Amino acid sequence: MPHTVTWFDRLRVERVVWSLDQRLYDLPSRTRIAHRREVRANLLTAAAEVGASEALRRIGGSRELARQFLDAELGEGPRHSWTAALLFALTTPLLLNFFLSEAANAYEQALVTGSHTEGTFTWSGVTWLQSPITYVVQHDQVTHTGGAWTPLVYVLLVGGTVACGRLWRALPRRRGPGEVGSAAGGLAG
Amino acid sequence: MTSSHDPQLLKGVLSLLLLHLLAEQESYGYEVAQRIQAAGFSDVLEGTVYPALARLEREGRLATRLVASSSGPARKYYRLTDAGREALVAGTAGWARHVSGVEAVLSRPLPVAPQKGS
Repeated sequence: MPHTVTWFDRLRVERVVWSLDQRLYDLPSRTRIAHRREVRANLLTAAAEVGASEALRRIGGSRELARQFLDAELGEGPRHSWTAALLFALTTPLLLNFFLSEAANAYEQALVTGSHTEGTFTWSGVTWLQSPITYVVQHDQVTHTGGAWTPLVYVLLVGGTVACGRLWRALPRRRGPGEVGSAAGGLAG
Repeated sequence: MTSSHDPQLLKGVLSLLLLHLLAEQESYGYEVAQRIQAAGFSDVLEGTVYPALARLEREGRLATRLVASSSGPARKYYRLTDAGREALVAGTAGWARHVSGVEAVLSRPLPVAPQKGS
């Protein structure tokens, strides 16, 4: 029995499609968009035939559907995650800058409140992570220079991004003779 | 026909079923799911069929084209490639061997269980 697809039904479909899309960010954008469009078209067709609730039930949750799409595109088992790598690469510098600047500000406050002598002071910074910071105290005003990240921070950032996103798994794998397999073998799963 | 299938058994042959259905007729995802359900696999959800089609497409066994639809967005139609036909032939032969091997074992008579107390 045909059903009328209302705007509310379309919104429900869009919510599932959007949720699926958010979970497919590790796929190339063209593939992700193609899946999004296909699932939307199929859901709308299904909703017109069996109703939106039944159509959404029969597609399963967006989490499980996304997992199956990722398995289908990237293979089953452990794999890389560009999303995790990007999250680490973007948030770690922000947090690091926040804590380093807090440490520098604390030192600056100590200079202002601890002694009223004018002059130039040098703090070695957070060991291994930043270059020395030079403070100039003049007329109760403090300015500082330095405190840049050391090369070690960049190495840790790159290493952390690779580790967090498990990016070595993105490298093309060399196929062994056993993996070349027959077409029939490849049909399983 | 049964309404319930072992998911593990079904997982192994779903691709083969999809290839056969698409060899019969070019179809879009929802229609393929409908056809597989009409064939007796009513517990196979669309959410299982779409990723399986994506896998076959990635493996080069299916080709796709977009066809405009009067009732909504353009539909993605799937059809078999030459590699898909080869896989279907090989998979069908493999399945026949598998079934005959299983049946050969299952049809053997079982020894009579000893009676209690004898």
